[in-house]
Amino acid sequence: MASTFKIHIAKPGLFTTLQDLGRVGHQDSGIPFGGAMDKESHKIANELLDNPHSTPTLEMTLVGPELRFEGQGQIAITGADMNAELNGQPAPMYKTIDVKDGDQLVFHHAKLGCRTYVAARGEWQGTEWLKSYSAVANLLNVEGVPGMLKAGSTIDIQTTTFIAHRNYPDSLRPLFSSCYILRVITGPEFEQFDIDQIQSFFNTIYKISPDSNRMGYRLEGSIENYQPKGEEISSAIVEGTIQVTSSGQPIILTADAQTTGGYPRIVNVVSEDLSIVGQMKAGDEVKFMLVSLADL
Amino acid sequence: MKIQPFGDKALLVSFEKRIDPEINQQVIDLYHTLKASSHFTFLTPAYCSLTVGIDRTLYTISEGTELIRKLASCPPTNQVAYNREVTIPICYEEEFALDMKEVSRMTGLSADEIIEKHSNTQFRVYMLGFVAGFAYLGTLPEELVCQRKHTPRKSVPKGAVGLAGHQTGIYPVNAPGGWQIIGQTPVDMFDSRREEPNLLFPGDTVKFRPISVDEFKLIALKQETGIYSMEATHG
Repeated sequence: MASTFKIHIAKPGLFTTLQDLGRVGHQDSGIPFGGAMDKESHKIANELLDNPHSTPTLEMTLVGPELRFEGQGQIAITGADMNAELNGQPAPMYKTIDVKDGDQLVFHHAKLGCRTYVAARGEWQGTEWLKSYSAVANLLNVEGVPGMLKAGSTIDIQTTTFIAHRNYPDSLRPLFSSCYILRVITGPEFEQFDIDQIQSFFNTIYKISPDSNRMGYRLEGSIENYQPKGEEISSAIVEGTIQVTSSGQPIILTADAQTTGGYPRIVNVVSEDLSIVGQMKAGDEVKFMLVSLADL
Repeated sequence: MKIQPFGDKALLVSFEKRIDPEINQQVIDLYHTLKASSHFTFLTPAYCSLTVGIDRTLYTISEGTELIRKLASCPPTNQVAYNREVTIPICYEEEFALDMKEVSRMTGLSADEIIEKHSNTQFRVYMLGFVAGFAYLGTLPEELVCQRKHTPRKSVPKGAVGLAGHQTGIYPVNAPGGWQIIGQTPVDMFDSRREEPNLLFPGDTVKFRPISVDEFKLIALKQETGIYSMEATHG
């Protein structure tokens, strides 16, 4: 029997949005790829409920929201551990959870990792734009485009059947830390950098700047003795492109990055490691490891 | 035409590295050819490059490269006309021309001369980027070339018309930006409710028509009511 399950946002947390797999295919219109920053965690959350990967999840950032449920439903929590409490009791992660009318789910802050995902079993209703529910960082207040979830926002989900509980094995769950190594392959302008600059890029341990968000991660630290070789003509950016600004500072471009840019693209984070980027936060450290595209 | 991997899920097709209408037209022709083939996950045309998304569950990077070469060598014969001529009304009056004084100082031209040159140039849409629907228009007459602002504005109003280097462009939504603002259009360059949210596409030709504050208000009203029609012809 179909029934409506509602998630009420009592407190929104720091930055909570709906995210799915984004808008791949609209980049010719200047629209970012978008979608969950940590697509692995987003997908696992949906798999725990037997939802398609394209079903949206709540993406919460650093400090999570307070949620209240109306009706019966099934949910799953993945990604960064925000010490979620269901009616005051610790809520398990990476498991199917049954919730009932009036239940309250409170998230605290992420100690390791940056983003937590909550999936709910069923079909989500709401504002869809270009076949995606994803909010876009630079179109947050644009009419017709999904935006930030606020106190008082409600999400309606059509639920049909419930499934037997699933559990994502401990051994497969991602581990978050505060220092990461990302695999990268050479970017279009890699060869414009001289060997000293390339060595400097790979020898440096960078700190994630507080000025980082869904559009990009700025890295504190810069390539030694970097002098830009004239102006680049703007060209495309893909998820994981690392461009180097005129001062030699690298930026990792992420889900909501603009579709084109004019800085040299030194390397690209491999797709499998993009979900790790989505879990990095200000102050975390990162180093890069060059791999060959043929080995991926 | 050079094709190289760009990340592990895309290929970058590069043409001669120059901002030039003919080179850009090659990009746009290839873009339409590849788009029509429906083999690729996304396409991002730029000034002199085209980035092509590859579905790695279907193709290896070298198969993707071959496919692009094959399609490029036999473009469809029945290409539809996609390069339009669009006229965009712009109000260059003081209340909208936030940086006119700075542009005057940098170019040594009076406001009237700047308006005259800006509205008498035919521009080409080279690419879209920056924020949804932002069209990069070129080429600005040499006399109007000026630097970006040292400190970008936190929020440039929707519709603002700016100059940067040899380019001019219109902010489709409120967004931070460092372009020098010399006017504003009441026309929605981007509207998420339209089936095709963007007004301009790469390859379009654009001319600006100076309007008064009153006409600005009238067009804004027509837009809200849904009775405004764009001044465009298919070329």
